[in-house]
Amino acid sequence: MSAPSTNRQKSHSFQLLAPGVVWMILFLVAPIMMIVYVSFWTQTTFAINPTLTLDSWRNFFSSDAYVGALWTTIRLWLIVLTLTFLIGYPAALFVGLLVKSKTVATVLLVLCVIPFWTSFLIRVLAWRPMLGREGAINILLQKAGLIDSPIEVLLFSELSVIIGMTQIYVVFMVGPIAFMLGRIDRNIIEAARDLGAGFGRIFWKIIFPLSLPGVVVGAIFVSVMVLGEFATSGALSGRKVNLLGNIIVTQVGTLKWAMASVAGVVLTILLGIVVAGFLRIVDLKREI
Amino acid sequence: MESKIMKPVLAVYVGLFILFLYGPFIVLGIISFQQGPEGGPQFPIIEWSTYWYRHLFGMVPPSRIAPLPVGDALIRSLTLAFMTMVTATVLGVMAAQAFRKHFRGASVVFYLIVLGMMVPGVLTGLGISLLSNNVIGIDRNWWSTAFVAHVVYTFPFAFLVMLAILNRFDASVEEASWSLGVSPITTFRKVTFPLIFPGVLSAMLFAFTLSFDEFPRTLFASGRDQTLPLAIYGTFSVEIHPNIFAFGVLTTLFSFALLAVYGILMALSVRRAKRMAMQEDIA
Repeated sequence: MSAPSTNRQKSHSFQLLAPGVVWMILFLVAPIMMIVYVSFWTQTTFAINPTLTLDSWRNFFSSDAYVGALWTTIRLWLIVLTLTFLIGYPAALFVGLLVKSKTVATVLLVLCVIPFWTSFLIRVLAWRPMLGREGAINILLQKAGLIDSPIEVLLFSELSVIIGMTQIYVVFMVGPIAFMLGRIDRNIIEAARDLGAGFGRIFWKIIFPLSLPGVVVGAIFVSVMVLGEFATSGALSGRKVNLLGNIIVTQVGTLKWAMASVAGVVLTILLGIVVAGFLRIVDLKREI
Repeated sequence: MESKIMKPVLAVYVGLFILFLYGPFIVLGIISFQQGPEGGPQFPIIEWSTYWYRHLFGMVPPSRIAPLPVGDALIRSLTLAFMTMVTATVLGVMAAQAFRKHFRGASVVFYLIVLGMMVPGVLTGLGISLLSNNVIGIDRNWWSTAFVAHVVYTFPFAFLVMLAILNRFDASVEEASWSLGVSPITTFRKVTFPLIFPGVLSAMLFAFTLSFDEFPRTLFASGRDQTLPLAIYGTFSVEIHPNIFAFGVLTTLFSFALLAVYGILMALSVRRAKRMAMQEDIA
């Protein structure tokens, strides 16, 4: 190929990329840099000025409420991540591997996705009549004679936040795992079976390792969403559970931009560590 | 042997799993038919009625429960979702088109774009509101700051969908067109675009639905005028009534209508592609 035409092609793909790249730099990279920068600004009661200081950082780490929010975020993330994995994996195993017909598998996956066409916030709110004192679960349990008085801790507690988040995010775990399981060559499993391996052995030696990239992708999806949450905890805990996201919302609400930024930077670092950690387990580029 | 027991057990499990996914949804549907205006958002159903649906459209006598402030919010959300859909899809198609040729820094650009869907909304929203509020000093609005935040979020989805489509794309038809002296722009319009149209439709569907339901970014980046999710969020702090559930049922039906339109357009474009292939065979 002649030199001028290569150059033209180069400038061609540059022109195609430039708008998107500029958009992301201006409206994604710059805002995140801004959060880091503003976290060192000086906060007065209602205003903020760009004199650099460590005050907000000191306030964050000396306050039990803020450090507590950090620990609550980590604890809830670990619990929800574990639950989405434990609840999601068997479902993915069935959809991705055990169902022989592709049509049935697709129908099941579509069934899992349909609830997402209801507004996220309304899906969260729908847990209230489900979990409340006079909620569906308490009524069912009482009718079945399993409990005498309604269970109070179901709603407006950490438990209700965990239940709500698990239900909303579990599908993001099922999808990637089912996808990886679907790509496993069935002949390998047949061969192992012919050689006399039991299901447990086949699962731990073949199926699970091959599905691991799916688990990692699902875990990254769930982690990113749970760590940045604030709506579910706000709606289902009655303000009892405060995550880093809730801190950011309340601080911005009272115009405490510097403190909100500190919480934002802490959240960003936490996310970075978590995602980098998952990517160390599996080299995604090689697997996919 | 063991998998013979395993399969039915897991089938039952998947049934329960789907029930878990749909549980709140079913409850929401039932409670939306609660009697009004006294009936609250809980069981038991005092009497079945469509009161709360009529309440949404202002077809009931005024009561102490204010109607949901959704009229203007709905129009804003639809407009915003449409603007986002067009911008994100155009950016996504362009970027994916550029990725068909190898270039230096491709993986950096790839991660930069994908970052938009991975960074939590609360951070994008906070950053954009800091930038507009404290640095540039402009007002935040749903059609300006919230719009750019929505595109940051949906552009990666459109890009990934287009990338997947273009990866399976047979470039020889384009080369044929070029070698016949057709300009690259006409080739894109007449040859490439019709072939990638199903992907473009999917990218549009993604961008529209994600933007329509987007909440955390909008909460920070939009100003006084609320979009639909913000109007719903406004009801969180106060007492909730079954009208919000009736509204949830209606928006879900709207989403299905949107999905049906997508399905029809998709079927039409597949059929047209088949017909064109047949004509070629005859010729």
